Amino acid sequence: MNQAPDFVLFLGRFHPLVVHLPIGFLFFAFLLELFSKWKKNNALLAGIPLALLMGTITAAISCILGYMLSLSGDYEESAVDSHFWFGIATTIVASIAWLIRIDKIKLPKAKSFRANIATLTLLVILLSVTGHYGGNLTHGSDYLIKYLPFGKSEKKELVPVSKVEDAVVYDYLVEPILENKCTSCHNSSKKKGGLSLTDSISIVKGGKNGDALIPGNSVKSEMIKRVLLDPHNEDFMPPEGKTPLTEEEIAILIYWIDNANADYSSKISSVETPENISHLASNFLGLPIEGQKGTVQLPEVGAIKEEVINFILSEGFTIRELVFESNLFEVVLPSKTLKNNTPEEINKKLAALAKIKDNILWFYAEDNGITDTHLNTISEFKNLQKLNLNNNDITDQGITSLEKLTSLNSLNIYGTKVSKNSLNSFLKMQNLEKVYAWKTAIKTEDLAMYMGKENVPHVSLGN
Amino acid sequence: MCNDHHHKKLTSNNRDLQNIEKQLDRRHFLKKTSLGLGAIALSSLLGSEKLLANIGQESAQKEILKNYNKNRLGLPHHLPKAKRIIYLFQSGGPSQLDLFDYKPKLTDMFGKELPESIIGGQRLTGMSGSQSTLPVAPSSFTFKQYGESRAWVSDAMPYLSEVVDDLCFVKGMQTDQINHTPAITFMQTGNQLPGRPSIGSWLSYGLGSDNENLPTFITLVSKNGKGQPLKASLWGNGFLPTEHQGVQFRSGKDPVLYLSDPENYDGQDRRHMLDYLSHLNDLQKDAYGDPEIQARMRQYEMAFKMQTSVPEVTDLSDEPEHIFEMYGKDSKDPGTYAANCLMARKLLEKGVKFVQLYHQGWDQHNYCPGGVKNQSQKTDQGTAALIKDLKQRGMLDDTLVIWGGEFGRTVYSQGQLTKANYGRDHHPKAFTMWMAGAGVKPGFSYGETDDFSYNVVKDPVHVHDFHATLLHLTGIDHERLTFKHQGRRYRLTDVHGNVVKDLLT
Repeated sequence: MNQAPDFVLFLGRFHPLVVHLPIGFLFFAFLLELFSKWKKNNALLAGIPLALLMGTITAAISCILGYMLSLSGDYEESAVDSHFWFGIATTIVASIAWLIRIDKIKLPKAKSFRANIATLTLLVILLSVTGHYGGNLTHGSDYLIKYLPFGKSEKKELVPVSKVEDAVVYDYLVEPILENKCTSCHNSSKKKGGLSLTDSISIVKGGKNGDALIPGNSVKSEMIKRVLLDPHNEDFMPPEGKTPLTEEEIAILIYWIDNANADYSSKISSVETPENISHLASNFLGLPIEGQKGTVQLPEVGAIKEEVINFILSEGFTIRELVFESNLFEVVLPSKTLKNNTPEEINKKLAALAKIKDNILWFYAEDNGITDTHLNTISEFKNLQKLNLNNNDITDQGITSLEKLTSLNSLNIYGTKVSKNSLNSFLKMQNLEKVYAWKTAIKTEDLAMYMGKENVPHVSLGN
Repeated sequence: MCNDHHHKKLTSNNRDLQNIEKQLDRRHFLKKTSLGLGAIALSSLLGSEKLLANIGQESAQKEILKNYNKNRLGLPHHLPKAKRIIYLFQSGGPSQLDLFDYKPKLTDMFGKELPESIIGGQRLTGMSGSQSTLPVAPSSFTFKQYGESRAWVSDAMPYLSEVVDDLCFVKGMQTDQINHTPAITFMQTGNQLPGRPSIGSWLSYGLGSDNENLPTFITLVSKNGKGQPLKASLWGNGFLPTEHQGVQFRSGKDPVLYLSDPENYDGQDRRHMLDYLSHLNDLQKDAYGDPEIQARMRQYEMAFKMQTSVPEVTDLSDEPEHIFEMYGKDSKDPGTYAANCLMARKLLEKGVKFVQLYHQGWDQHNYCPGGVKNQSQKTDQGTAALIKDLKQRGMLDDTLVIWGGEFGRTVYSQGQLTKANYGRDHHPKAFTMWMAGAGVKPGFSYGETDDFSYNVVKDPVHVHDFHATLLHLTGIDHERLTFKHQGRRYRLTDVHGNVVKDLLT
C-alpha cells in the first residue's frame, strides 16, 4: 500500500477525538426525544433538530477522518471494513432522522409506528456497533471483556514446572513480557507498524520495517533497538504514555534473542544462562534454581491483628516487619530475657507466638535458657529462614525436631551442646546453607566425613 | 490524648516544682489574654511545618521509634540482607597503592614522569599541583596473594590478609571531592556541604531501633587522632528529627558525656523529674507544635535509659582473655581503634543498628611508607579480629562491615621521591574500599584501575552508587526513602546512584 501524505495521516489521527462528538449529539437527540414523549416541553423539542443536524455533520467529518486514519495501514483491513461501513450507515441514518424531524421526509403515520423514535433507536444501535468496532481497533478485541467477572475463557495453560531450568524460555519468560507491554498495539487486529507479536508465526513474519528481531543478534534487532532508545525519541517503544519495559524485561528479551537464538521451544536448561538471568527468571516465576539455596520465594501469609502484636510485645519480644505489608516478621527475644525461667515458663512465652507462627521469617532467641523441648514449638514456625539459638541448652536431639523446617537457610547454634550427630539432620534440611557452630562439640575432622554428601551446608566452626 | 493536657492541672508535691506551677499560671493568663490571638496564628504557622515533613503524624514517629509491626514510611521495601552495619571509616584517605591495589608495572617506572595522558588534564591540589615534576612512586610494600580468592594484600596488613576470603573489594571507587572535609562529608552524607543527614541517621529514621535502651546510631572515634579534624556534622541528623543523630561514645570514665549523675545526687527522684518535665514539654508542644520539642523529650528518655544500658554495654570486663588476644593488646586500652572494634561488636550484639568508627591519620602527604605502616599497625589486627569475631558468632550473616576512607592517594610522589621514602597526595578518581558480610559476595574483587591506579578502567563505583547499594542491603530502595525539607524531597543519594548488583550475593 502506498503511504498516504503525512498531512492526511496527521488529520486522520484526530479521528479518535472527533468521533465522540456525533456519539454525544445523537445520543442526546435520542434522550430529548424520549423525554419529550414523557413530558411535552416545546423548548426541549426545539433542540432535537439541531442535535441531529450537528450529529450528522460531525459524523460525516468523522467518516472522512477515519478513512484518512485507515490509510496508515496500521489496522487490519477486515476489522477496519466493518467499522467503516457501520460508520457510513450511522451517518446516513442520522441525516434521515434529521430530515424526518424537520418534516422534509414524511412517512405515513401508522398507529403503532412513530418514525422519529424508530429511526433514533436504530441510530443508537448503529452508534453502539460502530463504536464497539472502533474500540476493538484501538484497544484490541479482548480489551472490553478482559476483566469480565464471569464466563472468562482461560487462556492456554502452561504446564506447571517445579524448577526454573524446566521452563521454556519463550512461553514462560518472553511471552508474558510481550503480552504485558507490546500486544495491546501489536496484535492480529491492530497491527501497529504492520507488526503483531502475539504468536511465533507473526513474530517471524515481522512488520512494515522488516524483521522484528534477528535471532542471535539482539544489537541489530529492531525490537531491542527500539526499547533501548532514548525515551524521548519518537521511535521509542512502547510509545509515550505506555509503561516502558524494565531493565529486567529487556535483559530477558536480549537473553532470548542472543542465547536462545529466539527459539520458541528451548528450555532454560538447554540454553547457556548467565547467573543474573537465572535469578531474574527465578524471581519472575517464583521458582527455585536447582542446586542453589536461599532463593525461596517469600511465603504468602495472612495479616496479624494489632492486639496479637501488642500481646507478643508485652511478653518481652521485639518484632519488626521485614517487608512492608508482607506480614512477615523478624522476632527477637533479647538475650537473657528468660535465662532464669523454668522450662515451663519459657514454653508459655513461646506459646505467645503460636498465632503468628507462619509469619515468622527470622527468629532470634540467643542466650535464653532454651532447651530441646522448646525446639518442638519453634519447629512449628514453618516459614523460618533464619534461626539464632546460640548459647542455649540445646543438644542433637532438639536439632532433629528442626528437620522439618524446609525453608531454613541460616542456623546459628554456637555455644550449644550440639555434636556431629546433628550433621545428619542438616543434610535433611533442603534449603539450609549456613550453620554457625563455633564452641560446639562439632570438630573439623567431623566435617571431613560429610564432604561430598548431598546437600551439605557450610558449617562454620570459628577460627 | 494530647488535648487532655490542658485540662489536667499540673500538680506536684515538690516545693520547687509548685513554684513553677504558680509562674506557669501567671504566664498562661498573660499569654491567653494579650498574646492569645498571636499565639493561635503562630501555632497554625508552625503547625503547617509539620505537614512538610513527610511523617508529620506523631504516632508515626512513635511507632517507628518503638519499632512496632507497622513502619509508617512503608519500609523495608524488600527483604533486607543486613540487619546492622558497622562502618570502619579510615579518615585521611588510605593509600590504595600501598595496601590493596597491586601495580607491579610501576617498579620499572620508578622516578619516571607520570604521563600527561594518564592525568588527563585533571586539576591537582594546591599541595602538589605546583610541583615541577610528578615522579611515579611504586609502593615500597611487598604484595602477596592470599586465601582461596587470591586477593592481593600488602605486607602492611598481615592480619587482614588472613580474612580476605570474607572480603568484597571495590577497587574502582570514585568520589567528586579532593579535599578532606568536603570528601568526608560527601562520603557520610551524600553531599559535600555539611547539613545533610548522615547514613546512620537515614537508617535510624527509616528503619527505627532494635533496642529501645540504646541509640540506633552510635559513633566511636579512635583516641589521640591527629590530622584533619572530625566534626559532629559527619554523624549529624541534618534536617531529620534530632533523635536520629549519631551518639558519640567516648573512651574513659564517661562514654557518653553528662550521662552520669552529678556528685551528691542519688538520682532517686529522676523518674519523677522526667515525667514532670515531659508534662511541661507536652504543654509547650500543644501550644507551638514544634516537632523539636518532641525530639527533645525522646532524647531525655533515651538518656535516662542509657544511664543503665551504657555502663553495661561499655563494660568489657566479662570478655574472655582469648578475645582480647584476638583484637590485640591495644584492645585493653579504652579508646584505641582495637578497643573500639571490640566495643562495636558488643553494641551490634545488643541491637544497635549502625555503628560508625572513625580512625584518623591516613593522610600520608610526606612519609607515606612509614605512615601507612604505622596506621596499619594500629588498625589491622582490630579490623581482622572484628571480621573473625562476627563470623564465629554467626553475625557476619546479617551484619555488613564497611572499610574505607574519603578518597585515595596519587601514584606520583608529593615532595621528594627517594628509594626509601615518598609522599602521596589526595586522589579522588580511584580508590579501594571493601565490604564484608551480609549480602555482599565474599572473596570477591570488583572493578579495575589502570596501571597507575589513577583512573578506573573497569566497573567504577561512585559514592552515590555505594550509598544506593548500602541502603539496598538494608531493604531500602534508595529512591523511595525521602524527606521533604525546604520545599523539596531529599534522599541520601539525592538524584543520583545505582545499586551495584554485581556486588550482591
